[in-house]
Amino acid sequence: MRSKISTVLELLAFVAAFGGCAEVQRAAEDVARQSGNERLAGVIRGTGTLVAGLLPIGYEEESSIGQAIALQVVARYGGVVEDPALTRYVNLVGRAVANTCDRPDIPYRFAILNHDSINAFAAPAGYIFVTKGLLKQIRNEAELAAVLGHEIAHVTEKHILQVIQRSKQIAGVTEAGLAYANQNPAAFKNLIDGAVKKLLDEGLDQSKEIEADQLGDVFAARVGYDPLAYVTLLVRLRDLKGDDRAFFKTHPNFSSRIEAVQKAIQAEGLKTNGVLLADRFAKWSKRI
Amino acid sequence: MEGGLEIEEATVKRRTWWTLQGLIVGVTLVGVTAVFAETVYVQARTAQLRSGKTSLDQVVANLRYGDPLEVLKKEGSWLQVKTESGAQGWIYAGKTSKTKPSGGDNGLAQLGRSMRGSEASAVTASAGARGLDKVSEGYANRAGISQKDRDTVDRMTAYQIADQEVEEFLKEGGLGEYAK
Repeated sequence: MRSKISTVLELLAFVAAFGGCAEVQRAAEDVARQSGNERLAGVIRGTGTLVAGLLPIGYEEESSIGQAIALQVVARYGGVVEDPALTRYVNLVGRAVANTCDRPDIPYRFAILNHDSINAFAAPAGYIFVTKGLLKQIRNEAELAAVLGHEIAHVTEKHILQVIQRSKQIAGVTEAGLAYANQNPAAFKNLIDGAVKKLLDEGLDQSKEIEADQLGDVFAARVGYDPLAYVTLLVRLRDLKGDDRAFFKTHPNFSSRIEAVQKAIQAEGLKTNGVLLADRFAKWSKRI
Repeated sequence: MEGGLEIEEATVKRRTWWTLQGLIVGVTLVGVTAVFAETVYVQARTAQLRSGKTSLDQVVANLRYGDPLEVLKKEGSWLQVKTESGAQGWIYAGKTSKTKPSGGDNGLAQLGRSMRGSEASAVTASAGARGLDKVSEGYANRAGISQKDRDTVDRMTAYQIADQEVEEFLKEGGLGEYAK
């Protein structure tokens, strides 16, 4: 039969765990241990760990995850274009959009992947990549702003982190924060490799891509770029690639993306008289 | 002086009545103001409160991310607002949001951190000054990432652009509050 004190202590531990009060939790654990109930002490400690494992990933952990994924993106896409002036330009456009996005309080950095495929990627904590191949298809700064806006939206909405969070739960990772990565680097590697596979090979859920399309265009429009520029770019890419998903397997087909962006422009009442800045872009795109 | 007392009593009654009426009107007005007052929040890393609704107008105050602002008037892409400390001025609407920003680390994530105890908050925009951290360095070793690729992500992590440079870039392009 469970003693009253056990019930009270377990309840206290659970409340403490949810309330984030580590002191109360530890005190309850100590009382249980002192009363000779080692099993109960374990349960109390476990409650905290379990709940901590289910909590959203904090920024320090996000940063390590972002760096590890960024390392794989750079490795698999042949490194970055070593052109400091051009990289600075892409960073300025990215920062202009990121400064008024829905999560402007973390650093965002942008790099150009030395690859001819047409793509762009975002790793958590604001590591954003656009391929040389995609830059070659872009005609003005407003189009670039929307592409970077799409990637920024993956970071603000924590799309990749959600994938990792799910994998952590499936893998039974109960340690909170980076404790698991320090204690079990192999488990951390498995999580990262799984996320990289999803990001580079399988693609995120289509609904997340659509969300990033819509939100990214809103971010670009917020700073004054014409949101219709993104529609023009998507139409150009559809003409080039067709709607065949095998070609562009990590994203939904272009027609549904175009439709979703047009819907967002209407629903959000975005002004379609923003700037394109084709001349400023042309000055830089010559270097690609 | 019985008569005088009566007059005084009547005056007091009248005064009380007016005070009461005033109170009712006052409360109603406050209520109406409360219903119509719209609050927005600063949704940008840097934002300025200006004396007029152009980027050329004088900066009245520098605002911080998440600051609540009471909207007094809307004109074009600009909002006339009042800060919590009572300063009044104009802000570019693109730098505000109707919902309170949750920030890089939301409440739940902070809660998780407080339970872990050991993790320090790292959410500042200048947190990028360091290169690769220990955990990702360990990952690089296990995954066999080349030194060249490590250097790339290292440089990317440390990459910084001053807010002033971004501001100049916006100005040059006629973007944001510098829209022509």
